[in-house]
Parts: sequence; structure tokens; C-alpha cells
Amino acid sequence: MNITFWLLLVLILLVVTFLPRVGLFAVYKIYRAAQEREQMEDALKHLLDREQQGRHASPESLAGTLDIPRGNVMQLIENMETQDLLESRGVELQLTTKGQRWALHVVRAHRLWERYLTDEARMPLAKIHGEASRREHSLTEAQLNDLDAALGHPTRDPHGDPIPTREGTLLKAEGMPLTAWQAEGPMRIVHLEDEPALAFEQILAAGLRLGQTIRILDRNSQRYLLTDGETEYRLAPAVAANVSVAALPESEVAKASAIPLAELTHNQRAEIVILDDAVQGFTRRRFLDLGLTPGTVIYPELKNFFGDPRAYRVRGTLIALRKDQAAQIWVKPVL
Amino acid sequence: MEANEILAKAESLRNGLSTGFRDEIVKSLYTEAEQIAKRAVKTSVDKKYDFDQKIDRLVTSPYTGLPIMLGLLSILIWLTVSGANVVSGWLAVVLFGIGDFGRALFNQIGAPWWITGFIWDGVYLSLAWVVSVMLPPMMIFFPAYTFLEDLGYLPRVAFNMDWMFKKTGAHGKQSLTMAMGFGCNAAGVIATRVIDSPRERLIAILTNNFVPCNGRFPTLIMLATVFVAASFPPALTSLVAAATVVGVVLIGVAFTFLASWILSRTVLKGEASAFTLELPPYRKPNVSRIIYTSIIDRTIFVLWRAMQTAAPAGAIIWILANVPIGDSNLARAIADWLNPFGYLLGLDGVIILAYIIAIPANEIVVPTMMMVYMGAGMMVNGPTSNHAIFDLLVNGNGWTMLTAINLMLFSLLHNPCATTIMTIYKETKSVKWATLSVVMTLGTAIVVTFLTASIARLLGWV
Repeated sequence: MNITFWLLLVLILLVVTFLPRVGLFAVYKIYRAAQEREQMEDALKHLLDREQQGRHASPESLAGTLDIPRGNVMQLIENMETQDLLESRGVELQLTTKGQRWALHVVRAHRLWERYLTDEARMPLAKIHGEASRREHSLTEAQLNDLDAALGHPTRDPHGDPIPTREGTLLKAEGMPLTAWQAEGPMRIVHLEDEPALAFEQILAAGLRLGQTIRILDRNSQRYLLTDGETEYRLAPAVAANVSVAALPESEVAKASAIPLAELTHNQRAEIVILDDAVQGFTRRRFLDLGLTPGTVIYPELKNFFGDPRAYRVRGTLIALRKDQAAQIWVKPVL
Repeated sequence: MEANEILAKAESLRNGLSTGFRDEIVKSLYTEAEQIAKRAVKTSVDKKYDFDQKIDRLVTSPYTGLPIMLGLLSILIWLTVSGANVVSGWLAVVLFGIGDFGRALFNQIGAPWWITGFIWDGVYLSLAWVVSVMLPPMMIFFPAYTFLEDLGYLPRVAFNMDWMFKKTGAHGKQSLTMAMGFGCNAAGVIATRVIDSPRERLIAILTNNFVPCNGRFPTLIMLATVFVAASFPPALTSLVAAATVVGVVLIGVAFTFLASWILSRTVLKGEASAFTLELPPYRKPNVSRIIYTSIIDRTIFVLWRAMQTAAPAGAIIWILANVPIGDSNLARAIADWLNPFGYLLGLDGVIILAYIIAIPANEIVVPTMMMVYMGAGMMVNGPTSNHAIFDLLVNGNGWTMLTAINLMLFSLLHNPCATTIMTIYKETKSVKWATLSVVMTLGTAIVVTFLTASIARLLGWV
């Protein structure tokens, strides 16, 4: 207990603080750099988003989106200008070619992550946006290409937004807001906006999902009343604006006369019409592997004590499916 | 250059594909296969098909399905436990005989006592013990299990049980890996390969240890017979002992469901993955394949891993028992030091020490305990009669009913053996999951035994 002890202690503290790469100081610097990069990438996303809507971003809108003080925003803009990521003309901010490429990279990362989290990790839809926002900053271009290939080059994220290709082309978002839809008759939900999260949660809570066929029963300034033929859904107009719809594609017309496999009565033969669009990734591959392809004849043969799962006879083999999965296979009863 | 052009072309074409093209590809493959099959395969009206359906209705109906399932499981375990006892006895005679011979040989050539002791009473004895206790039950359990598997019955069990597993966020096939766990948890962990969705597979891997393997059954049976059943009239002893063991197993099943439920809502959060289960037609079991898969793939594989970990454990046990400290030995000293912790859990220092040494294989827990209690220099079987065991533990070493019950609970819930931990690591390729499997089970064991001990003491039962 003397000088040597204290010297040793100080020495250890110094080493712990200043060790390259793993020391406290170095770790803090890495952390700061990551923070800055994330902020910059969020700013790029905001600019790209505005550009797609045909509006210009401004320091105010940027400060609002990133939730940081104005002083910091000016600093950020200056940094990004020196890196040749954006140009400011007066209060209008514009992406440079380099900035746009980077922004597309981040958007691609975000939407691929969302696809992965939904299809492979089977995370609930309400959670994927936040998780993807945390993960979008960490992948390199090559890693993204690998992820893209592993997912089978998906074209849209689980909300219906187009995923930028590796060359950097970004398709236009499909459909129009529900509030702008004027035509009569059924339509198809092609996009659910995930921001703000509160509105998205209301959409999910109402029970609406991507790919669903709906019809407007009634609309007024208070609420929208929608139906899919069985259930009625209510949405506030502000929330309804976050739901985009488009005209029915051919496949949906076929689905209109079909029923879910889960509702088939015992031993009733039926022909598979289509697998629901909501089934993607792992589950869809599994279904296809088992031979549950359109046109196949199938019928429920065996019931569990509790009615779930049921076993279906298909192509001579017996395959058990849980109710919620059988609800995603559309069939047409045959005699 | 050519290749790059083709890739670029593919890339540009891909963007124009419709979203359903994968479905179309699979559909065309199946159409093709169907046409080939139609040309090549002739089907006559099949009597076997109706027969299969009759059996299926029988084994999945609410009235007959459950009794058949429980009956088969009971027979499986009863066959294993009682049959193994006999074979274990023979094997022990042979293997321990070889040990005696080796010891005599070493003495004759004048080897120092500690070399003889280390090799024959330490390493060899531990190996012989593990082999003689572990091999027979596996030789009976695995072929019987594989028989049911080959017959096509097991997928029906998964089908029957799925509703319970669905509620806990797990997969119906976990019932099969749990059943496999009765034979050996390491084999149970390997058996989770049949679960094709990664999340549900991890749940099955992490909770498999809550099913007592046959390395732990002897401990449970001994305690149930000596302590619980002893207070009942002699006519009822074996029935009470059996009921107690079944009770312990049911507690383990309850913990499996609880842990699955918690895991699927915390670390393994998410929606249930695809549950698809093929129910193959019933087949006549293929004897040579049963023997091959059960003996080579399962028994030898597990036994070899267990032997690798049992040998060093034997060495350590011998050293602990033969390094003198005062008028006692190192094992006793460590056990005394561990006593306060053991007391907290309603156990004692010797039991804790035995469990630490027996991480490689649960089979050597009781022999190690007996060794320390009796002050012997090597693992021993303990007294031969139930009465003498009771006397040694209760009057000699201060055991109570609480000790016996908590030891049963600890044996059921504690960390997986080294072989299983190693298997979990190899199956998941992740130190994180292997660590979680240990922390979760050991944590549960400590919390549960601490609670029962504290409650029993507060209420003045002991």
C-alpha cells in the first residue's frame, strides 16, 4: 500500500482510457462517429423523401424530422455540403448526385431489412420500422446485395413501398391515398404508410393489411367506413390518408369467389386458387415445397382434438397446417 | 466478359418480372412431375389407404388418442428404466472386474499407489461408471423410440400436441424432441433438427433440459423410493415411488411450457413461423435401419461424447478425495466451505460439490455424493439397502425431507451436462445460446430451490 500501488493504478487507468480501438476514449470516438453518420443518413433520407413528393426540403423541415436544434442543423448542412452530398439554394436544400446515391442506399437498406424482419425473422409488422431504422446504417453495399439476393430480389417492402434496385432506380409508389379514391367498387390496399407510428398502429389495430380487397361503405368528415365483405373497418380521415389503394389486379378477381382453406368443411374437396400475398419468404417457400400450388386439389381429412391444426390430403400425402396458415390459402370448392 | 454480360442481362430482365414468377416456376415443376408420375405409376384402389385412415382416426381422436399416447410413453420409460437396471448390473460386474484386475496388475508390478489410484480408481472408474449406467438405457430407449419413429406414429403425436405448444409460441414437434430428451438431452437437442423454423427450434433446444434424461432418472427413483415412498405402507411403495417420479416429470413439463412461453415473448419474440407437418403413411419398421440409426447415430455418438468428458471428471474426483487436509480430504473441505450456499437452497455442501464435479455427466452425482459422505477414496455405490441409505443420509448427514425434495427439483432443473452444452453449441453455432441455456436452467434451479427451502423453513416444516 504505497507509491507502487497508486502508480500501478494510475497506469492501468491510463491504459484503459487510451488504448487504441478498445480503450474508453477510442470507443467513445467510434460511438460519436456512428452517431454523426446516422444523423447524416437520416437527413439524406428526409431529402430524398421530399424530392419524391416533389417538394423541397428546408433547414426547418430537416430540424423537425431529425428533432434537433436549428443551430445543429446548420452545422450538419455545412458538413454535408463540404462532403458534396447536398446543395443549398437559399432555404431550399437539394441532393447532389452523390447524396442521392447514398440516400438510395440507406432507403434500400431500410426496406430490405423490413422485408427480412417480416419474412424470415417473422417480427410483428408494428415493430419492423423501428428495428429497421436502427439497422439500416450498418450495412455495406456488398452486404446489401447479398441480403437482396438471399431474399430473392424483392421489389416492395412489407408496407408496399418500392425497394430501390442496386443500380439505384426507384419505382414510383403505387396507388393513391384512400382519401383521393373516387371510383366505385372494390379496390386493393397497396401501401400502408408507417410514419407516423401512431397512425400506422391505428391502421393495424383496425385490422387492415397490405393486399386486402376493400370497398368504401360510407365516408364523411368524421370517419371512413370500409368493408372487405365480412368485417367493417373504421378509420379517421387523417389516418385513411396514410392508406394507399389501387384498382384490383387480375389475381384478386379470382380470389373474390374463393374462400380460405381454414373454412373448408371436413372432407370437402377444393382446388387451390392462390396463396395470399401476405404470405412471403419462409412460409411461402414451405407451402410451395409441399406442393400447395394453384390448381392443386386439397381436402381436410383429419382433425386435432381441439380443431386446430387440421391435416389436409394433398397430392396423396397428409399435411397438417394450423388455422392461421390455412387462412392464407384461398381455395374454390369442387364437387 | 461473357459472364458479366449474362449477369447484367439477367439483372435487367429480373426487374421486369411479375411478383408471382416463383409460384409459377414451382407450379410448372409440379405439373411436369405430375405428368411423369401419371405415365409411370399405376395406382390400384388401395386397401392400405383406408386402413391408414382408420388408425389415424384412432390415434387422433379425443377419447383414444391421448390414452394411447400416454400409454406408449409410459411403456417406453418403464422398459428403459427396468430393463436397464438388469443390464447395468451385468455391465458393472464386467467393467468393475476389469478395474480390479488392472489394479491388481499395477500393484504386482510395483507401481506407486497414487498412479494406480489415479488411473484405476479415478479415470477408469468414472469411465466404467458412465458406460455401465448410460449405455443400457440408451440401448433400449433409442431403438424403441426409433421404432415408433419408423412406424410413422411420432408425427401424429406432434399433431395431437400442437395446440398446447402453439399457446406457448412453440412447435408441435417439440413434443418429440422432449420425448427424445428422456433418453438423453444431447440427443434431444440434436433431434430438434426436425423443426424447420429457426425460432421454434431454438425454443426447443433451450428448454430440452427440463425433461429429465435417463442419467437423472436413477437419482429421482432412489430419492422417491428412499424418502417419499418410505412413509407409506410397503404394499404401496413402488406405486408411490412411480407416482412421485411422474410428478417430478410433470413439473419438468410445466417448466418447459413456462420457459417456452417466456422465451417466445422475450428473447425469441415474434409471430409463430410456418407450422407444416407431414403425416407420412404408416410403414412396416425396417429393423436394420432402426438398429443402425439408434445404435450408431445416437447411442455411440452420445456415449463417446460423454466418455470424453467423464474421464477428466474421474481424475478430478480422485484428486479431491485423496489430497489430505488435516484428518480429512480436499473434497470434504470444499464441501464444508460450500455448506452455507447449499443450506440456502435446502441442500448441503456435498450435493453442490457433487453437481459441480458432475457437470460432465449426471450419472456420477450419486456415487460422488456417497463417496464424500462415506469418506471413501473413490466413487462408491453407497449402502445396498434402502434403509441403510436412509440411515446414512438422515442420521449421518442431517438430511431432511426438504433435502430430498429439493435435490429432486435441483436435479430436474439444473444446468445441462457438458455433453449437452457442447451439443447446443454445435447445433446453434453460438456461444450466446449455449450460455443462455446454462444461465436459464441453473438460475431456475437456484431460484426454485431457494424459494421452497425458505417457504418450508418459514412455515416451520423443517
